[in-house]
Amino acid sequence: MKYLPLVWAAIMRKPTRAILTLLSVMLAFTLFGLTIGMNATFAKVQEDARDDRIFAFARFGGLVPIALERQIEGMPGVEKVASSSFVGGYIQEPKNRVFVVMMDENIPKVLPEYPITPQQWQLIRDTRQGMLVSKMQADRWHLKVGDAVVIVSPAVKKLDGTTSWTFKVVAVTPDMSIFGQGYMFGNYDYMDKARLLSDQGKTGQFRVKISDPSKTPEIAERIVSRFANSSTPLESITEKVAFDVSAGTGMDIAAVDREVALAGMFMVLFLTANGLAQAVRERFAEFATLKTIGFSDNGVIALVFAEAALPCLLGSGLGIGLAAIISNVMPKFLPPGQGLPIPTMTVMVFVWAGLAAAFVAFASSALPALRLRRMDIATALSGR
Amino acid sequence: MLRQIWIVSVLNFKSLPSRFWQSMVIVVGLAATIGVMLSMLSVSAGMRQAYYASGDPNRAIVVTKGVEQEPQSTIARNQAPLIAVAPGIAKDKDGKPLADRTLMTSVPLLRKDGSKGFTTMRGLSDKGLGVRPEIKIVAGRMFQAGKRELIAGVGAQLMFRHMQIGDKVILPDGEWPIVGIYKTGDQLEGQLLGDTETLVTTLHKSAYTTMLVRLASPDSLDTFKKAMTTNPALSVDVVRHSDWYRRVGDQTTFALTLLGYVVGTVMAIGALFGCVNTMYAAISTRAREIATLRALGYGAFPVAVSVMLEAVLLSVTGALIGAGFAWVFYDGKLDLFGNVIFHLSVSPHQIELGVIWAVVVAILGGLLPSVRAARLPVVDALRAT
Repeated sequence: MKYLPLVWAAIMRKPTRAILTLLSVMLAFTLFGLTIGMNATFAKVQEDARDDRIFAFARFGGLVPIALERQIEGMPGVEKVASSSFVGGYIQEPKNRVFVVMMDENIPKVLPEYPITPQQWQLIRDTRQGMLVSKMQADRWHLKVGDAVVIVSPAVKKLDGTTSWTFKVVAVTPDMSIFGQGYMFGNYDYMDKARLLSDQGKTGQFRVKISDPSKTPEIAERIVSRFANSSTPLESITEKVAFDVSAGTGMDIAAVDREVALAGMFMVLFLTANGLAQAVRERFAEFATLKTIGFSDNGVIALVFAEAALPCLLGSGLGIGLAAIISNVMPKFLPPGQGLPIPTMTVMVFVWAGLAAAFVAFASSALPALRLRRMDIATALSGR
Repeated sequence: MLRQIWIVSVLNFKSLPSRFWQSMVIVVGLAATIGVMLSMLSVSAGMRQAYYASGDPNRAIVVTKGVEQEPQSTIARNQAPLIAVAPGIAKDKDGKPLADRTLMTSVPLLRKDGSKGFTTMRGLSDKGLGVRPEIKIVAGRMFQAGKRELIAGVGAQLMFRHMQIGDKVILPDGEWPIVGIYKTGDQLEGQLLGDTETLVTTLHKSAYTTMLVRLASPDSLDTFKKAMTTNPALSVDVVRHSDWYRRVGDQTTFALTLLGYVVGTVMAIGALFGCVNTMYAAISTRAREIATLRALGYGAFPVAVSVMLEAVLLSVTGALIGAGFAWVFYDGKLDLFGNVIFHLSVSPHQIELGVIWAVVVAILGGLLPSVRAARLPVVDALRAT
């Protein structure tokens, strides 16, 4: 600790260089934070996915009769089945995309971990047009309890010939990781009774809760085979698989993120290594002096390492901080309904950033350290 | 003046090897920035091209009013004849309108790696091939109308298992054999095609999804559109097929494109600070040289320009190296996203964009150092050891 002023003085010999290096490092770590943070979001969604739940929906697209809910519930190993359907559309203009998940009365039993109280769930049962809006969505559309909002949904036609669905905000509820940009929940009965006669009594998907999680994949298969020869064959997929981004797209997005983060690290490694090599070259004679007055080889090397580590660690901290700020304001600026993942700065992101910073500091001080260890004090002092 | 700039710059570039590693900071910085940005953009650009290629200015698509995606649209069965008789539609040699009733649905399939995936199964009606002449059978034969058979795209063959001729696809009333393989050169290649009417009955659908018509001429869109929108029995939107896919392509790739540019911007700013740093270091190494030139009567401006030129040269070199990497590793590579199969694309236009970014970074990064170089106090610099 007592050598800190020495390290500080060394860094501040060229304040412009120090600041520019710090800024470069900071930006590389902002990128690191955003990409690795996005992977953290994917991991969190995957982790939060329950291993005792299944999605079941029409195998060949379209709606399924809600009557199947009872049939699936009757299958062995199934604890409870609920259904949800979607009103997808926009508020005022097409660019303001939103979608409302219309929940039936069994949903609270199947999705017990959702941060919604039984009283709040009851609100959308009691008010036909009631809607639960998450904090993020409420902020996005400036909604508060009591407000009415009209959602135009061209794909979901109403009995009266229009496509305008009116909702009334009954509660503002906490956000969840799986809904990166927030959510809106409505009442299934409202949708069912108001839509075209030919679509009534049908739903978009079932959420199936299994009593023994180890049986989940097996029951998912059984649901498929049970309805394979019916007039509405079903497809079912476990929640763990459904919430896996790369399984959904066939593209390993997490690997792309890691490569981008790595490219950023490579860039700063080159930058700091060069800066440090230059600084050591310029102050070669000074290091010789330090050695002369009794600093050991390792002591001098430690000083150089500290000189590299300080901007790296500080830069990584600031960079991740900036990434956190960006992730926080991102939902406000992103066009809604694109389903873009918002990075999360978990502890692991900080740990990885710290490790990466330490590695960059270590790697960039390696060559200068070698030079210092091999230095000939007399030659160095004479300035030749 | 130009002569001075020339001489100072040549001198400057000659001394570059002595500042090799230092200069490499700019080169590596820009190579990483542009390399990463173009690699990321190659995905969205390739995907967008696959969508753009699916559209045809000589076709128009009819969808439910207000919908933005094909699967959301529904065209009632009794509305299809109303649409087919409208003016502006091209006729085949028998005088029948070239209007294709499309049915779209998703089918679960096994990906090559064994995981579950989905692709689009599309129904093509009797006039389908007339409307979409780009469908070429490359193996086997076309499906027969009224029969329960399918043809698979070459892309679907690459993405999914059991897509060979003779393989079967499970549908509600049993298994349908694949009897042929087709090519289109666009995103339709990742899908399966069958007979619309047979699919409608098999899947118990009450409506078609969309109608696709071949226009009598590219200019007849307005005639056709007017007939559609003034017909009170219909509530539809008519969009030129190329415009439809332009929008779908842009919308689908929006997030990826944005991500590419965000990453590019963050890295470019990082590289920018590196550039400023390097150029400051460069002029401090060259302080005596610059002072000597100034003492000999060279102007401040040529000195500033030479610093700027050096920054631009190094940045552009870096950008070209990065673009070269992106091009060698990714251009033309086959990739897939969902059920869209496409070739990654690093186009000359994107490389140009990369070079422009590099020039901007260099100019911003070289600005302050070149001002300092120009204002260098000659006497002090000459005295300094």
